Amino acid sequence: MKQGLGLRTYTVIYLLVLYGPIIILPLFAFNDATTVAFPLSGFTTKWFGQMLADANLRKALVNSLIVSLSTATLATTLGILAARSAVRYSWPGKGIVMGSIMVPLVLPEMIVAMALLVLLLAAGIKLSLFTIILGHVLIAMPFAVAILSSAFQSLDKSLEEAALDLGETGWSTFRLIVLPLVMPGILASFLITFTISIDEFIIANFLGGGEPVLSVFVFTAFRFPSTVPPVLALGTMLVAFSILLLTIAEYFRRRGVAKAGGKDTGGFL
Amino acid sequence: MTTPEEKPVMIEFRDVHKYYGDYHALRGINGTIRAGEFFSLLGPSGCGKTTLLRTIAGFEDISSGAVLIDGKSMQGVPANVRPTNMVFQSYAIFPHMSVAENVGFGLRKDPRSKPEKAKAVEEALEMVGLKGYGGRAAHALSGGQRQRVALARALILKPKVLLLDEPLSALDKKMREHMQVELIKLQRQVGITFILVTHDQEEALVMSDRIAVMFEGEIAQLADPETLYRRPNSKKVADFIGTMNFVPCEILSEAGGKVEVEAKGLGRVTLDGTQAPPARGETPVVGLRPETLTLLYDGQQASDRATEGVVDEVIYFGDMTYYDVYLGGTDVEVRLSMRNVPGRPILDVGSKVQVAWSPDALVLFR
Repeated sequence: MKQGLGLRTYTVIYLLVLYGPIIILPLFAFNDATTVAFPLSGFTTKWFGQMLADANLRKALVNSLIVSLSTATLATTLGILAARSAVRYSWPGKGIVMGSIMVPLVLPEMIVAMALLVLLLAAGIKLSLFTIILGHVLIAMPFAVAILSSAFQSLDKSLEEAALDLGETGWSTFRLIVLPLVMPGILASFLITFTISIDEFIIANFLGGGEPVLSVFVFTAFRFPSTVPPVLALGTMLVAFSILLLTIAEYFRRRGVAKAGGKDTGGFL
Repeated sequence: MTTPEEKPVMIEFRDVHKYYGDYHALRGINGTIRAGEFFSLLGPSGCGKTTLLRTIAGFEDISSGAVLIDGKSMQGVPANVRPTNMVFQSYAIFPHMSVAENVGFGLRKDPRSKPEKAKAVEEALEMVGLKGYGGRAAHALSGGQRQRVALARALILKPKVLLLDEPLSALDKKMREHMQVELIKLQRQVGITFILVTHDQEEALVMSDRIAVMFEGEIAQLADPETLYRRPNSKKVADFIGTMNFVPCEILSEAGGKVEVEAKGLGRVTLDGTQAPPARGETPVVGLRPETLTLLYDGQQASDRATEGVVDEVIYFGDMTYYDVYLGGTDVEVRLSMRNVPGRPILDVGSKVQVAWSPDALVLFR
């Protein structure tokens, strides 16, 4: 396999550049020194203690949880409606409407944030956690719709007809057949939109109106050397948490595809 | 056995039309299906047979006309309260449920107690040959087993009519033939009306009491399998069901229900009314099935009529041999089939042969 050597070297370098910095994060979070520099001085968990003792950080964490849970719930609920309607029914202007929902996927977040800020200020709406949630739902919706569309698509239409045929109503068919079969997709959508929201910075910074969320807090903390190591500890925890969430989401998505007897057409991971 | 004619009408179509936008999918369907009948809707894909089945189930609204089940108009009656149940082409087994949960799904609103329902489920499974499979996961079943589960699930509700949408098309040939016989037995056992949609003419002939052959949204012929095979009412039906030779002919006279024709290579033949379906303005031909033609071997005598011929092609099928033969020095070629029995050699291409046939086997299309 001599021919593949160049490509393999490239792959290894690519992965190192991609994941190296993330490995640095926990390395220094457990390092007993204020400055982030080699050589490492010794093992400590004190930065984690300091992080948890910080009242501002705790406030930011609670804010972030409020924003992310609300975003995930809203985006997934709206996503279910949009995906179901797009997959199952045809109506005039469907292409344009569904396209519009997906556009934030390719729009620079900066533009979305600025536009929303201008609009909200012009409308006289006070900036708050709620306005962050609005922005986050906008950027999380494409992901929710993509995941849920694939979940609804892998659902055989005749399953619903069979339930109707066996005496169920439209609603009980949805409850007994459709919902259980797309539930893995719903969970996956919830977890991914939650993850998108919790580490989003630009919109949170623009539309937060002084209410700090985690991402904004981290950005601020990095400007003072003394607060860097606790933030690294926080970062370590967030990375671990994100990986966990995405793994769970993908697990449910795959299980959903397998359960409905469909063919895996590829998700986000 | 009682003949279907004695039984009451179960389904009636009255001038049923169905449009999808501009597309005219059903073009004035009329006909009746009797109680306890094994009825097939047969036709090529896109002929409207599945659409027609779905109008009975209630999954398809009709644009005009009426569908009656057991004398009641189904106008505005939703699928979930119609006295019909369906076996879907994909079987539509609920993948997140066990076999027993699938079969018992329709009993959810049944007032019976849990043990009684469980007993009903077990009986239904036994009926389709899946006794003891109740605890299995539905998605772990084979194609044939899924089909049986779909059957049990539909039959447990004791519908007046069981609708089967190409139920055997996903099975391999052996399994399909096996299930054909099982379905016939099952239908006799439960005694309810079965309506089967199929594009497989052989399947329809094997299984049905009566068949409606459909082309382009219309019923071309509605008859029992034998009539359909022996006396098709049009060239199209004749061509769709089995193989038929078409021999050009000239109509000499027509009087008193008898038609006299001069068929190329066969000569002068007189046909009775059943052999001459209504004219359609087509070029006249007589049709005859391959098995109604016989090669005469040395010393054999034709019981009726015989014509000389030359073998043009020999197709060996193991149990049968097909011969393509030019008739009586003409360019008319017919295919005939001979059973390969001991003492009957396979003939060579170019052999001069005597072809025996009977005027009774002919059908005139014009």
